[in-house]
Amino acid sequence: MNSRAWTASGTVLLMLVVLGPVLFIVQMSVRSGLEAFRMPPTLVFSPTLQNYIDLLEGKFVRSLMNSTVTATSTTVLALLLGVPAAYAFSRARVRAQGLVSLWTLTTRMAPPIAFGIPFFLLYKDLGLIDTRIGLVVIYLTFNLSLVIWMMRAFFDGVPRSLEEAAYIDGAGISAAFLRIVLPLSAPGLATTAIFTFLFAWNDFFYSLLLTRSEAVTAPVAIVNFMNYESWEWGKVAAAATMIMLPVVALSVVVRKYLVRGLTAGAVKG
Amino acid sequence: MERIGRRRFLRSTAVATGLAVSGVRPSRPLAQAGKPHAGTRLKVAQVSHAYAEALLARLPAFEQQTGIKVEIDQMSFPVLNQRADLELASGSGAYDVMQMIFIRSGRWIAAGWAEPLNPFIDDAKLTDKGALDVADFVAGAMAPFKRGDTLYALPWLSDSTVVGFRADIFEKAGYAKFPETFEALQEAAAKIHTRQTAGFVTEDNLHWIFPNWLLSYGGGFFANPPSDLTPTFDTPEALRAAELFTTMLSKYSPPGGIKLDPSVAQAIMQQGKAACYLDGMGNTQHIIDTKKTTLADRMAFTHTPRGPKGHFPQLAVHGYFINKASKNKQAAWEFIKWATGKDQMLWSALNKGHLACTRTSVLAHADVRQKFTWHGSDLAALHLAVMKRAGEGYMAYRTVPQFPPVGDRVIIAMTSIASGQASVADGMKSLQKDAEGILEKAGVKINRRS
Repeated sequence: MNSRAWTASGTVLLMLVVLGPVLFIVQMSVRSGLEAFRMPPTLVFSPTLQNYIDLLEGKFVRSLMNSTVTATSTTVLALLLGVPAAYAFSRARVRAQGLVSLWTLTTRMAPPIAFGIPFFLLYKDLGLIDTRIGLVVIYLTFNLSLVIWMMRAFFDGVPRSLEEAAYIDGAGISAAFLRIVLPLSAPGLATTAIFTFLFAWNDFFYSLLLTRSEAVTAPVAIVNFMNYESWEWGKVAAAATMIMLPVVALSVVVRKYLVRGLTAGAVKG
Repeated sequence: MERIGRRRFLRSTAVATGLAVSGVRPSRPLAQAGKPHAGTRLKVAQVSHAYAEALLARLPAFEQQTGIKVEIDQMSFPVLNQRADLELASGSGAYDVMQMIFIRSGRWIAAGWAEPLNPFIDDAKLTDKGALDVADFVAGAMAPFKRGDTLYALPWLSDSTVVGFRADIFEKAGYAKFPETFEALQEAAAKIHTRQTAGFVTEDNLHWIFPNWLLSYGGGFFANPPSDLTPTFDTPEALRAAELFTTMLSKYSPPGGIKLDPSVAQAIMQQGKAACYLDGMGNTQHIIDTKKTTLADRMAFTHTPRGPKGHFPQLAVHGYFINKASKNKQAAWEFIKWATGKDQMLWSALNKGHLACTRTSVLAHADVRQKFTWHGSDLAALHLAVMKRAGEGYMAYRTVPQFPPVGDRVIIAMTSIASGQASVADGMKSLQKDAEGILEKAGVKINRRS
């Protein structure tokens, strides 16, 4: 086998490994209850959209909406708060700067359970349990540090001379940041946004802990298809597929920036 | 318009201030005669279940009759376990009525998180004892929720272990009726088991399945629960039971038979890939769901086998209790009375297939007997017999506060033995040691055996 054949085989194998679980879930989502566990599994079957219809007619839509609102709000707020902070960490020279920037990481150092229970008790008194606002606040705690550290690295890569040139032309700090630095960091911004969105979108733990019924997000709602006496695998698969779709769509839309963002700095000296 | 004089104004203000300070509140605007709790909003937490669907179907009538608004949060069992513990431990009072999970009842009741129901039952203004008919609940289903004479929950679900089996396969193997002992079952499984059809299948909640063997062979979790909680997993009886049970899992179960969730185990039976399925009634009865199988007419049901020390089918009981932190306790009691009432339970059995119920009158009802008799197998009678048997008290091991962590450790031990990672002796010795550690860490005085 020549090298091209090896490469092709490797690519197919890799795609199977990566796409295998996704394809498995998607095909299960369009099988009836009887078909879902047919042994041995059949490749040819009559697909049905019943699982999706059941989901769209049930409470899952609300959970999906909760996920959308909380993940989007978290992303927007984390960028609004984190990007200026990252710029400050990149450009300003203040005492104990290293320590302060390290301090922002502390929320990611401990396991979520260490924060979950205190937050539950705090939220109980504040009336924030089972609210979207409560979820956004806790998602911000661990996503802000991600935004700050990722964006700081991107800002570090933007030559200061460009801002200095802008200052000479009469721009202030804000104008230089908004008109020069931020556009040049667009790939990083896209990468950071998508990672922030993903972390909030996929959260299971905090939603499990801090919601009851009104603000339950989609990952927790999926688990509730596991009834006491039988599990509704078709609905679980359909719900999993629906959860994947927005992330896939978002990744496709920003893929150009995503690749540039992830590889930024890779060939710099 | 009538003018309000200075004196009248001052008198009214003084009366209003006095009432406010003394805590007396005017009645709720929605309260009406005969509907003392009108306008109250109740929140109920329970597992996703057909019984909850039955409640939801009939809830409008209850709401209209009482003026109470009810929101039932249904969640998966793992989520319910997590959420209930957190809500109760934090005293949130977010849920007025909650599901009493019998293996957690020991902890929850001991912690004072459940409101005693006796004062509600004994108050003639709150309860028509004839209509509630507490004596109609089967004793075995009530036992987990009683501490002395105090009752903490009313049961709505009692799952009894039974066996669903393929009568045609056993007949073909020379068995006119299902084997009556575990050893006979193992012999039959050895004859029947092929790559295409497993001799036996069960679900992965092994601390629920293993005790069917353990107790029948004279073993137990603890020396004498609830007074002596010394673990007894290293006795010859326990070792024998573990050996037989894990052999069924490792040699006569389908591939992956150590870890099959109930719906997969049911699907295996529905597709003709196993000869018999041992599990709770609620799960087992799904194997004759004609929407999922064409083999239903070959299925039958019977009691779990016995061992040399007798017959010890398991009974899992769940009920409704009033959260101590609830601010709507009387309204919560109204809901519980209605939700566990004869009428509701009968309707649920007939319309939602909820056979694993807890009332004698429902299980004896002619329509229920007829609906749940399948090819000569009287499921209602099977279930009732298990509840009565469990009422003798051998399920006490399961309601001690320390059961849940020990039960989890039993699953690990059975899995490691059945998968060949540990011998029976080593696996049970390790289980014994760990269980002793769990008990001691919980402050329980035990007689250390290892």
